[in-house]
Amino acid sequence: MLMSIRADHSTVQKTPDSVKGRAELALNNEFLRRAVKFTTERLKSGKLAAAEEHGNWEEWRERGRQIRLHTIAHLDYYLEQFVNNARAHGVHVHFASDAKEAVQLTMRIAKEKQAKSAVKSKSMVSEELHINHALEEEGIEAIETDLGEYIIQLAHETPSHIIIPAIHKNRHQIAELLSKEAGEDLPPDTAVLAGFVRKKLREKFLEADIGMTGCNFAIAETGSMVLFENEGNGRMVSTVPKTQITFMGMERIIPTLDDLEVMATLLPRSATGQRLTVYMSVLSGPRRAADADGPEEMHIIILDNGRSLQLGDTHFQELLNCIRCGACLNACPVYRHIGGHAYGGVYSGPIGAVLTPALNKNMAEWDDIASASSLCGACYEACPVKIPLHDMLVYLRHRKVEAGRGEQAEKMGMQGFRFIMSDAKRLKMIAKLGRWVQKPFVRDGKITTQIGPLKGWNAYRHLPSLPSETFREQWKQLEQELHASGRPTVHEEIRARMEKLVAARNQSDHMHAGDMARSSDLQAASRLKAAEGERRDER
Amino acid sequence: MNDKTFLAELDAQSRVKQEEFFDHIASRLQRPRQKTAPIRTLKGAPEDWDRYELSLEARITQFVKHWELAGGHAHRLAAMKDAVLLIQDMVRHTGAKHLIMQDQPELEPIQTALLRTKEELQREEQQDINLTIWNAHGLDDAAKGWLVAAAAQADIGITAAHAAVSYTGSVVLPSSEISGRTVSLLPTMLIVIIPVLRLKTRLGEVLRPMDEWPLAERPAGIHFVSGPSRSADIENDLTIGVHGPGIVHALLIEEA
Ligand code: SF4
Repeated sequence: MLMSIRADHSTVQKTPDSVKGRAELALNNEFLRRAVKFTTERLKSGKLAAAEEHGNWEEWRERGRQIRLHTIAHLDYYLEQFVNNARAHGVHVHFASDAKEAVQLTMRIAKEKQAKSAVKSKSMVSEELHINHALEEEGIEAIETDLGEYIIQLAHETPSHIIIPAIHKNRHQIAELLSKEAGEDLPPDTAVLAGFVRKKLREKFLEADIGMTGCNFAIAETGSMVLFENEGNGRMVSTVPKTQITFMGMERIIPTLDDLEVMATLLPRSATGQRLTVYMSVLSGPRRAADADGPEEMHIIILDNGRSLQLGDTHFQELLNCIRCGACLNACPVYRHIGGHAYGGVYSGPIGAVLTPALNKNMAEWDDIASASSLCGACYEACPVKIPLHDMLVYLRHRKVEAGRGEQAEKMGMQGFRFIMSDAKRLKMIAKLGRWVQKPFVRDGKITTQIGPLKGWNAYRHLPSLPSETFREQWKQLEQELHASGRPTVHEEIRARMEKLVAARNQSDHMHAGDMARSSDLQAASRLKAAEGERRDER
Repeated sequence: MNDKTFLAELDAQSRVKQEEFFDHIASRLQRPRQKTAPIRTLKGAPEDWDRYELSLEARITQFVKHWELAGGHAHRLAAMKDAVLLIQDMVRHTGAKHLIMQDQPELEPIQTALLRTKEELQREEQQDINLTIWNAHGLDDAAKGWLVAAAAQADIGITAAHAAVSYTGSVVLPSSEISGRTVSLLPTMLIVIIPVLRLKTRLGEVLRPMDEWPLAERPAGIHFVSGPSRSADIENDLTIGVHGPGIVHALLIEEA
């Protein structure tokens, strides 16, 4: 360490109240311009090549699935190991059975810290909690810091895509929103808009009392939490504010950092086509005594909120394997057609169609989504941990029919399904364009215009009602339509799976309704029903 | 209530709640609590992958390719003195005013050289450079805050990598007293020094040994960085430097 250099920053010391007060933040365009000029500019096209195919992808998917299956099967053990190791690093770990408890815990911490503002990095879990609302009620400013989330927040909307939340907004709409915030007219130029957000949010990071993050993975062996991101705001919120609060779904665990290599291979490739996200941060506790940055206090709130309902459920336990990559959304022709907002819940696309009713302990309200999904199997093919989403979608409908509820809804759903499938040829073309979200989809017009027929369906009161049909008859129709829509290989696979389901259904057909709970297939349905009752009582 | 009692109270409540929480999980799984480590037949990446090993030359080529594909700039340099020259040149050409660098021993030649550059530029009345060295040893909270403030306004941040991974095109940056997390995050441009012997092929080669690190030696933050900060949130159009550095240079030093 050279003392003569140390003297340098003593000359800067002027007004030491907050880091923000100390840092003179400039947009620094001149430096940026010259720095770019100094080197060859290879980002002119504004596009980066997606990673080339990773060899033996199937083997990696299977490995990913095995790691997730193993962890979930021993979730209590790994969660406890994680908690003990995180505590050893000085993390304050908390448990919340539902969203309400998680919010209460957060608010207790925020009040104790006398927080005025909280900066957040994108997290679906915090969407589940509606934490912004709770913070704002206490007069604490909650700032979304992902570029897309920030835009969505300014527009007072909810995200339409797990990975690209503002996919439904175009440049001009964004410029309009940001101009309001800036108090001056900003041109609809991506670089200018991003530059404005960089400066604006940097001020927010530096003055915020609390940083809030989600958690992609938690490592049992080391007590670490892992964040994957591209912008750097996840690092900001987990480095700059004094207090960090992390919301973690209780299923986020993997056993070791060794296993992280598998997740780090599957997640970015499936989410955005990258070899690895720009930042992968392995965070183990608050800053050490000797460190000069990092949070002084770190809280991790472990959330159940309906997740444990899927444990022990033979048909839906695999939902807990989900690594929230969004690949099934990009692969789904229905999602591409209607966009995320139509799904109504926090999670959209095929995963949302299954997860939302599962988390909400209530499938009746959401089944139109399950019905609308095209059952083409593209979601399963895209899923890096091989979750049989289409089986689940079919089963969800099956369960509802079995439970003898929502007959009308089912018919409406069928109409919706036909509506989508009548477009199948066109959608198939879109599906072929690839796994990653690409410009054509955004500009497709379907997503940006948010026609949202799913919501509309409920209003189509004048539709002729279908003759009463059994599930098997309905399936035959679906089968025919699927066949007509192409994808022959997938079709065969689905049929095999469906035959199994139908066989299970045939067995239960012979049962008296009162015996339904004894059928393992139907236990979950009655549990759901009971849970639904509970939920109503809560209200 | 002071902070300590508040946290103690929260922790006590958490320890009660956790038993209920874990018991509930076990009961949903229809078995007693799992108290011993489950037997694992599979761990980490597929076995075939573990045999994937490139020669040093191939690792360097692959790293450069992947780092550049992600939008970074890479330089193959024979010796540290070439890195020094390159950085001095960058400082002059970009008109950088604020620089921040870690106090890592491997960066010493750069520290010394930049001090010289600073004096030269002052004499020439060209540029007034402010150079901050990140070393938190013995600093109080206010002084530590100044380090972060310096990083926040820095044009260039300089750090040495603990390791690098060619397949993913990543550099690995653990935090410590002499290695701030904000140095690789807040500056507009980031320069990472990579002695090539630290360059591995696979992510697993870096991650696996970290499982064994003793608790007391585990850094609070380990950051894997694979290019410039980027976003595609506006019309799926690539934007660099959204929050972190938009320009990143990897300097591969080939001398042993
Ligand atoms: S279900 Fe599979 S594809 Fe969909 S978000 Fe989850 S992990 Fe990704």
